[in-house]
This record gives sequence, C-alpha cells and structure tokens, in this order.
Amino acid sequence: MLKTPLFSAALLLTAFTVQAQVDTVRATTLPPAQLAEKLYNSGVAKFNQKSYRAALQDFDRALAAKPDFAKAYYNRAAVRYELQEYQPAIQDYDQAIKLDPNTFGSYFGRAQAREALQQPAEAEQDYGRATELKADYAPAWYYRGALRFEKADYQVAKADFDAAIKADPTYTYAWHDRGSTQRQLGNLPAAIQDYTQALKLQPDLLPALLNRAATRRRAGDLKGALQDYNDYLAKKHDNALAYTNRGSTRYEQGDYKGAVEDFTRAVELDARYAFAWNNRAATYLKLEDYQRAEADATKAIGLNGQYAEAYLNRGHAREMLRQPDAACQDWRKAAELGLEIGNTHAANSGCGAE
Amino acid sequence: MTVLAQNVEFSKDQFGNDKEGLKTALKEIKAGDEFYDLDPPRYEQALPHYLTAQKFNPNNAQLNLKIGDSYLHSGFKPRALAYLQKAYQLNPDVDPRIHYLLGRGLHLNAKWDEAIAEYKRATPAAGTKNTAAFTQNIQKKIRECENGRKLAAKPSRVFIDNAGPGVNSPYADYGPVITADESVILFTSRRDNSTGGQKDPETGGFFEDVYQSTRTGKGEWSPARNLGEPVNTEGHDATVGLSPDGQRLLVYLEENGGDLNEANLRGAEWRKPRQLGSRINSRAHESSAAYTPDGRSLYFVTDKEGGLGGRDIYKVEIEGRGPAVNLGSVINTQYGEEGVFLHPDGKTMYFSSEGHNSMGGYDIFKSVYQNGKWSPPENLGWPINTPDDDVFFVISASGRHGYYSSFRDDGLGSKDIYQITFLGPEKPPLLSQEDQLLASRVQPVKETLLAPPVAIASAQVTILKGVVTDEASKQPTEATIDVIDNSLNQIIASFQSNAQSGRYLVSLPSGVNYGIVVRKDGYLFHSENFDLPAGAAYSEVVKDIALKKLDVGVKVVLNNIFFDFDKATLRKESTGELERLQKLLTETPALRLEISGHTDNVGKAEYNKDLSQRRAKAVVDYLVGKGIDKGRLTFAGYGDAQPVAPNTTKAGRQLNRRTEFKVTGK
Repeated sequence: MLKTPLFSAALLLTAFTVQAQVDTVRATTLPPAQLAEKLYNSGVAKFNQKSYRAALQDFDRALAAKPDFAKAYYNRAAVRYELQEYQPAIQDYDQAIKLDPNTFGSYFGRAQAREALQQPAEAEQDYGRATELKADYAPAWYYRGALRFEKADYQVAKADFDAAIKADPTYTYAWHDRGSTQRQLGNLPAAIQDYTQALKLQPDLLPALLNRAATRRRAGDLKGALQDYNDYLAKKHDNALAYTNRGSTRYEQGDYKGAVEDFTRAVELDARYAFAWNNRAATYLKLEDYQRAEADATKAIGLNGQYAEAYLNRGHAREMLRQPDAACQDWRKAAELGLEIGNTHAANSGCGAE
Repeated sequence: MTVLAQNVEFSKDQFGNDKEGLKTALKEIKAGDEFYDLDPPRYEQALPHYLTAQKFNPNNAQLNLKIGDSYLHSGFKPRALAYLQKAYQLNPDVDPRIHYLLGRGLHLNAKWDEAIAEYKRATPAAGTKNTAAFTQNIQKKIRECENGRKLAAKPSRVFIDNAGPGVNSPYADYGPVITADESVILFTSRRDNSTGGQKDPETGGFFEDVYQSTRTGKGEWSPARNLGEPVNTEGHDATVGLSPDGQRLLVYLEENGGDLNEANLRGAEWRKPRQLGSRINSRAHESSAAYTPDGRSLYFVTDKEGGLGGRDIYKVEIEGRGPAVNLGSVINTQYGEEGVFLHPDGKTMYFSSEGHNSMGGYDIFKSVYQNGKWSPPENLGWPINTPDDDVFFVISASGRHGYYSSFRDDGLGSKDIYQITFLGPEKPPLLSQEDQLLASRVQPVKETLLAPPVAIASAQVTILKGVVTDEASKQPTEATIDVIDNSLNQIIASFQSNAQSGRYLVSLPSGVNYGIVVRKDGYLFHSENFDLPAGAAYSEVVKDIALKKLDVGVKVVLNNIFFDFDKATLRKESTGELERLQKLLTETPALRLEISGHTDNVGKAEYNKDLSQRRAKAVVDYLVGKGIDKGRLTFAGYGDAQPVAPNTTKAGRQLNRRTEFKVTGK
C-alpha cells in the first residue's frame, strides 16, 4: 500500500491509509505552565487510538489556551477530516497556513479535503503549492496528476506522474497511472511498460493486469491481452468487468462461443451490468441468434435507457427478425443518443423519412 | 448409407408375385422412355411416369439414372442428386456419363468440392466426336464450382421471400417487371385462365399471358389479373420490360424467331403491342429489353450474328437511325447474356450471364457506367445466384428490393416470383467496455469499441411522382412532363401523365439541376426545380400538380429562375424558364403579366423588398430585350409580405424565396 511520507509532529492522511506518526513534544523539557502543549499531546495520543471525538476536544482546548498554535490547527484539521467534517477541516488548514505558510503538509491536507468536497480545481492548486514547497514529496505530484488525468489533460498529468516516480521510484500507483496516461495519449508500448513495472513492484496490483490487457488488446496483441485476463481471472473470480473485457477480446478474436461464456459469467455476477448484456447481444448477432440478441439488448436498455450502443445492436437484431419499423426506431434512437452511424443504417435500410 | 442396396431388375424373377404391379411399372417406364428418347428429350414429361415406376421398385440403377437425368433438366434440378447417387451405388457402371451427371447433381446442390472431384473423373461418352468441346465444358464447370465456393463463402445479405399468393400460382410465374416505385408489378404466368385456354403441345403447360398486380398494404400484392386483350393473345405473351412510370410495356412474342414489341397504356387501356422495328428485331431471337430512364433508348438481348458469342446485350436509340451497338467485351462474353435491366438511375445495369464468374448457368451481375465505360460486372452473389439459371432480375429505384423468379421448395408450385430485400453491407455490432484507469479511483472510464465505418449503399436517383389535375375541376388530366437539364437548357425526356388517373412518375438520376415543366394546351405551364448534386442519395418525392387555366389573377411560381446570391443577376440556368415565359407571351398576344419577386423573412424588410423588386425587373428587362412589348409587363418586389409557407422552417423559407407571375390581362 501507499506509504505516505510524514510531516514531523503532524498527522497526515491519505485516501488509503491513515498512518499518523506523531512527534510528541517531550514532557520533560516542558515548562510546567505549558497547558496547551499537554492538551496537544493528549490529542495526538487519542487520535492514534482513533478516539477522534476525544482528540477533537483536546485540540479545541489546546487552541483555546494557545490561539496561535499552528500545529494544533493542523492536527485538528486531520481529526476533522477523519470525522468527514471537510469544511471545518479546511478552515483549520487555512489557520495553520496563515500561521505557518511554508509548511507543505497543510496544503496537501487541504487539497485532500477539497477533493473530498468535489473541488478539484482548488485541490489541484493546493497540491501544486505542496510540490513547490517540497518537490521530493511524491504523493503531491501523484494526486495532482490524477486530477489532471480526470480533466483529460494527459500531457501535464504525465509530467506529474513523471515527477512522482522521480521522487519515489517505488511508487506503484504512479507507475500504474502513468501507464494509463500513456494509453490515453496513444503511446501503447510505453503504457504496457509502465503497467509491467507497476506489476513488478507490486504483483498483487491486479487492476494493472486488466489495464495492461486492455492496452495490449488495443495494440492488436489479442493473445497477450487474453493471457493477462486469464491471469487476472485465475486470481479473482468475482469481477464482472474483467469477464466482460475478456469476453470482448474473445469476440475480437472471433471466438464468439467463448465470448458468450464470459458475458454470461459477468451477468451472473452482476445482473445489473449493462455492458455485459449489450456485449452478449453483439455476440449473438455474430452467431446469428437474433432472438437472443434482441432480448439481451433489451435488457441492457432496461438498465440504462440512454445506452446508444444497445439501441444500435437491437436495431440490427430486429432487422434480421423482420421487424423493420422497430429496427428503424432503434437506429434513430441510437443516433439521437450520439451514435451518428444509426442514421446511416436507417438510410441504408430504407427506413424512410423521419 | 448403412446398408447398400442391390440392383433390382424389373423382371418376373423379382416380382413374380405381383404381376399386375410389374406390368404397370413397365408400362410407365415405356411411357417415360417415349419422352426421354425424343430428340430433344422431353424430360419433364418423362418424369411423372418414371416416378410412378420408381415407387414400385426404387432399387433399379437404370431407372434411378433416368430420373436423375430428367430432374437435371427440370425446374427442380437439385433433386437429381439423390437418384444419381443411388444409381451409382446400385451399379457403378450404370452409364458412361455417370461421373459427369454426378458432377452436375453435386454442382446444382452447391457441393462444390465434391462436384469438382466428379467432373475430374468424367470422361466423354464413347463415340463423342468433339472431345475438345467436352474438355472445355468440364473445365468451365470446374471453374464455376470454384467461383461458387468463393461466392458462397461470403453470402450476400438478403432476404428472399416468395411474393405471395397475390402474384404466384401453382403454375409457372416468372418475368416480373415493376414500376420504379414498386407500386405495380407485371409478370408472365402460365396459369389456367390463360387467354384462349389452350395448352402448349410442346411443354404441356398453358400458353403464357401477362398479368398485373398492385401493391396494397405492407409488402402485399393484390390478386393478379390477366391483362387481357390486346396485350394477351392465344399464343405466348411474355413480359420483358416496363418503363419506370409503368406506361410502356415491352412484351415478347414468338413471331419472326422471337421479337420484342411495345404496348402503351392509355388511361386504363393497354394498346395493342407494336413491333419495335428492324433495328431491334431480327430473324434471330430477341428476348429481353429495358428502357433507359428517359425512355428514348433500349438495352436489349439478341443472339443475332456478329456478337461475341451466345446472346449479347445491345443498346439502341428507339427513334434514332443508328444501328444497335454491342455493349462490348466488358459486358458480353463468349457465353450467353440475358435478362437485361437498367436501374432508374440510368447508369446501373443488371443482367445475367453464363460467363464472367458465374457459379453455374446464368448468374445475375451488376455493372455501372462511369466515365464512358462499364465497370467490370460484379456477381450479385450467393444466395441470390445459384448453380442453376438466375435470370430476368429487376430492382426498385430505391435499390432496396429486387424481383426475380426461381424454383424453390417454399414455392406455390413450379416457378414462383420472389422478392429480394437487400440488407446492404453487414452492420457491425458495437461493444462497450470500461477500465479502472486510475489506481486511486474507483470510477471506471468507458470506452466504446468502434467498428469501421460502413458504406453508404443508397441508390443515387430521385423518384418524382404524383397526380396531375385540372385546378378548377379537380379531375385528373393527361399532361406532358418535360424533364430539363437547366445547365444545358435541354429537354432530356418527356413523359405523359396517365389520362385516367393523372398519375406520373419520373426518375431523376443525381448530378443534374433539373427543371420539371408540366404543360398542357390551354393551361399555364407549371414549373418545378430539383437541383440534385452528384451522389445525392435516393429519395422519393410525391408532388401533385394542379394545372391552371389562363385567367386574370392567376399566379404561377417560376421555380427555374435563378439569381446570383444576394444579387439581381440572372443565372445562365434560368434561360429555359425565361424562354418558356417569352414563348407564352408571344403565343398569347393579349396576355399581360406582373412579374414579382419574393423573399423569406431573413434580413431587413427594406432590403428584401428592394432586392425582390430588382430581381423582378431583371426578368422584365430580359423579356423586353427579347422583343416583348414593355407595356404588357409590370414588375413588383414584395419582399416577405406574401409568404406561401411559414418562415419557421428551412423548407418554408425556400418556398418563399421565389419569382412568380400574375396574369393581369388577357
């Protein structure tokens, strides 16, 4: 799992793991009057015991005693994050930053809270500040990269993942996600290499197998893709997505019988997985079993009324089932939902004026 | 086969305890032989006799061979195989032709590789003089099997449906011809209400007559009716071709070695077919023909001397002087060509050929005339084409439906007419998948696996049809419809609307700016415009036209007057319409007109009014320049003040942008 480098005398949290390592302020060196510090240390101890409410009280009192106690704000923010009170957490980080603007951890923590509040633009900014203050802190790069990836800003996302890997060459997620970025950029061999490196560092990172498979498939290496899917499914038998994607690869290989088996397994695992129903419909079309194709596409549409591909496929099935009007309707609906080719099919099949 | 049967002779040794049965069976065989041994043999008449004998004794090699051989020469050729195989199994030496016949039987059942193997074992019968011809025939058959194997591996995506009981009968029904919009079908049938009611002594069937059926609801045909006299006679009368509008019918009559005749529809009556003349008909066999969409030329089939071998396809201008021209070696082969049909787009020809890459007998091919030449013929493929003859195919203007006749097991008896629905290239299914692309996120990213784009298969022709009426009486009327190429200012074709129904239909191949002028003496002309760019896809436009009598106050839209964009400059394509207007004024000296310009409501009203006025003036100036007295013409610009359609749609605005004239005096 992801190791988070720690900020001294602080709590630091990530989305995956909470590894609070606390630098307590040594009691022996404290002057007796340092009440705020004592409360602070008590809060840290309670945090480590996951007694967040009690910890919160301690930090409240510490701050009442010492209103410019930057670290107390910082840690209280962490407690509030843990309690999913993101807005108050952000206010505490704001205070911590005001009192101590050069601590990268406050920015990183605030970024995480802002991500939790669905404020990606603000979060991206805070991660950016964190990287400026501490360029060798890999997670700040990584998380900013992920946000940029989600914006489909793949070039700059890749640069962030590069920096994350430079800061921590054992950072599995950074390798993995750079692989995905390369894939989106169309650099398929580079993507495969990155996924491979992620798997080398962490052989149980199974999603990397799925993603490498999909990339190999897109690169035309159907055999390699199938091998990855097989390896994945040998270890994990409950993933409808994985069965669906292997099914699609088998379909592409012309192994329609095998594809039907996979899609069937997928809908057994998750009867609400529309993609598997749609893909099985497509495969039944190839097998010229138009009844079943129609039924499966209908099922997919029932699960997602906006599923353009399923309408298109059902149109194909209905044409062959001698229901030309229904077929025309489905193709037109697919076009309405964004698949322009639906109109071409309708025109080619003499659907007549709309 | 588990148990191999033994050859059983029709003899007393075998059937001593059923002398009556044996006697009847031998009688049937003898009756069959009388037809079988004729020159040429009448296989179909021999068959029923042989089949009766076969019931008595199914295990005679010789009889099985004769039945197989007879089936090979019947409508249901694939049925031959089982008998031939049995004959061979009962006695491998049953007939020296056995391997050839087995080859034929397998070939006709689309068992390509096995057929090739038998053809390779076939030897010429003892005493065959022309062994070279035999070898050539075998080699051609083997090539056909090879073609068949290739074509059948990639079947055409079609539905082939029996045209149903409205059209088909238990008798032979064939030779379908259709109007471009598939509203009417005419075909040949040998059913029992044939004119004269006589049977052809040669084949034993009724004489051919022409029948008609119309489309009622969805894919249904009304019960066929005999077209009657004068088209049908006591002899053979067969459909050959129909003009796209269904007003001209080509019929085949058995005179002069087989000739082509044309019958015209006047109102509801077909006129007596007339001979097409010596530039088309010769003493040889003219058997098939098709009109070009302008109705001025014919493609036809003849086996007269001077061709490339067998029957060939020729083209000829019907009213011209030049001789018929052979279409040349891209289309015509040393083997037979037959059953020519021209799509209403005027450039796509369908025909049948025994040559090219036929999979056996005649196959249907398609070729497109482009840049002055015919494209290499393309086999329409399996299952439209079969190892047997596939001939006399026609296709609708939309390209969606074809019609032909075929012997099939789902038929109503004998040969039936079938409708082919072309489904076009395979429509690729679409798969979806998603991947969890970010290790720290659970939200998967969707990806649609895109299939390659598909070809657009639409025919490139517009069918314009409707009813012409008299505006005042609302009665259908016969009028002339001129199809004009505006850029050349040339009449391409002229048609008549039907005098009784007022119906008309014209096919307009894409790539021309068409002016359509509907005219009739005593009426003002009506003009329509269809500017169809090259490649414009198939469409069917219904436009009913009401012709107006010349009266004060009557308005006519001049749809074929064109101006440069945003200017009052007349474009060259307007010449034809301007000349028509000039002619009208010249022929009617008392006629006074107001020419007016109209716009849609886009832009400033002031500006539109001014532009429309300048445009109207340009038309008047043209006419005055051609000698029309200035005093007879006024002009006006109404801008958007007199819309004929709502300005809310593109089509409506298009209708509102127009030049028209109003009769102000006569």
